[in-house]
Amino acid sequence: MSPENEIDMINFFNVSCTFGKEAGVRNLNFSIEEGEFVFITGPSGAGKSTILRLIYMDLFPEKGKVVIRNFDSSKIRANEIPFLRRKVGMIFQDFRLLNDRNVYQNVALSLYVSHYKTKEIRARVYKILNQVGLGHRIYYHPSELSGGEQQRVAIARALVKEPVVLLADEPTGNLDPRVSTDLMNLLAYINQQGTAVIVATHNYGLIQRIPKAKLIQVNDGEIVNIT
Amino acid sequence: MIVFWFLVKEGFHGLFRSGYAGIFSIIILCISLVLIGFGYIAARDTLVLVDNIRSQFDIDVFLYRTATAEEIQQLTQEISAMPEIEKIVFISADSAAQRFKSEFGEDIFDILQYNPLPPSLTISLKKPYQHVADIELLAAILANKSIVDEVKFRKNFLRIIERYQQLILVIVIAAFAFLTLISVILASNSIKMTIFSRRDVIETMKLVGATNNFVRAPFLIEGTLEGLCAAVVAVIFIALSFYFINNYLQAFISYRALASYRFYIGLLVLGSLMGLVGSLRAIRKFL
Ligand SMILES: Nc1ncnc2c1ncn2[C@@H]1O[C@H](COP(=O)(O)OP(=O)(O)OP(=O)(O)O)[C@@H](O)[C@H]1O
Ligand SMILES: [Mg+2]
Repeated sequence: MSPENEIDMINFFNVSCTFGKEAGVRNLNFSIEEGEFVFITGPSGAGKSTILRLIYMDLFPEKGKVVIRNFDSSKIRANEIPFLRRKVGMIFQDFRLLNDRNVYQNVALSLYVSHYKTKEIRARVYKILNQVGLGHRIYYHPSELSGGEQQRVAIARALVKEPVVLLADEPTGNLDPRVSTDLMNLLAYINQQGTAVIVATHNYGLIQRIPKAKLIQVNDGEIVNIT
Repeated sequence: MIVFWFLVKEGFHGLFRSGYAGIFSIIILCISLVLIGFGYIAARDTLVLVDNIRSQFDIDVFLYRTATAEEIQQLTQEISAMPEIEKIVFISADSAAQRFKSEFGEDIFDILQYNPLPPSLTISLKKPYQHVADIELLAAILANKSIVDEVKFRKNFLRIIERYQQLILVIVIAAFAFLTLISVILASNSIKMTIFSRRDVIETMKLVGATNNFVRAPFLIEGTLEGLCAAVVAVIFIALSFYFINNYLQAFISYRALASYRFYIGLLVLGSLMGLVGSLRAIRKFL
């Protein structure tokens, strides 16, 4: 049976990406369906961020291939990558908010790049910012926000384009327990709306919050367990 | 359209955020545009001057003293019919003697007891034919006429002028090209610095799904605006200089610096293009 016959939303076929060293990830085989909630866990340096970067094609496999819907890492051309990224929402480990613009503009940016109309952009950005509880911080600059608030701006930016999958890299990194609970509730809510969510974390405590979630455990660049 | 305004806004935004590097590119472009502007006017006026000197060189066709009025009349008509002739003037032996007298103050009869001056035709040529090559051709034709004794023109002087005119042209064009190239490179390097300081914006835009063109556009707009700013300053500076020359230096020099609005528009366009090319070159490394 060829693996290509049963294609899911996200598929890793024997993927290795090692940065030319022993580091990185090796021989990854897994798939993620539409609407799933997935945790990728493992100690620091295990390769969690690397897996997420392979999904949004910031990295390419040295061996094997990553297929996301109809985007195939072995065939994709550079000018097609933006179209993949418009379907994938990303919350980065370091947020990557732009300090030269306010919260509204940070979130709106991910719609402007997809050529939405201003009216629609405004409606969507206000809606999502209220949803993540930042309605009162719209004209602040990221540097004027707390870590948790910045986190939520990052989430709003990822969600505003209504992605088919949301990638969150260490989303509770340095948030206090209450804020991380709120965050996990928000991610669960988003998932209920039909968006697949992939959370990379070394915080095993988070996992219990989403009992139905799939668990991909990585260690030293290899998958040790999928449950 | 919305995207267009977004990109224009981003471009302006960048212009005001680029700080010293932006000011540096504007200064560089401005200096070179001022040099190019003055250089252009200077070169233009020099060439016009040389052209004027050139056009004062006539061809003298000396005729045999034996030529009859009829023969001269016929030759004059023949020559006037040629396309390259601007003007033809007949100077009879008598009027040549008179001219000698008015120029040297002495009567040629008193010196030589006879008039050695032959009758002649003075021909001036239309502008496009004022070249040594054209004149030589014409001279050869005229020299073959039966009543023509000798055809004279200041061949060597014309040659020198012609050569220098070409040299000036080549030097001016080379200098302009060099200046343009250097300033585009310098401006582009400083634009590169502003882009470098904002590579997080580029990175983030790409990560949220911007195409390369989308990422590039604000920087190109910013570069073009910098070029335009530089050109506006250069135009104001040049116009003020010309105003000063024309109104305050009149007592000392007779030169008047004149420039049409087309010249100024040309500078604005050139400045914008230099900024555009500079930013195109700069952004290449970051995509
Ligand atoms: N650009 C790179 N060049 C070389 N090695 C890299 C690069 N990026 C990651 N690595 C290596 O790959 C391994 C996996 O890195 P990765 O960032 O995926 O770990 P992680 O599981 O996300 O860790 P953390 O929990 O600390 O974020 C590490 O050993 C790291 O040093
Ligand atoms: Mg990581």
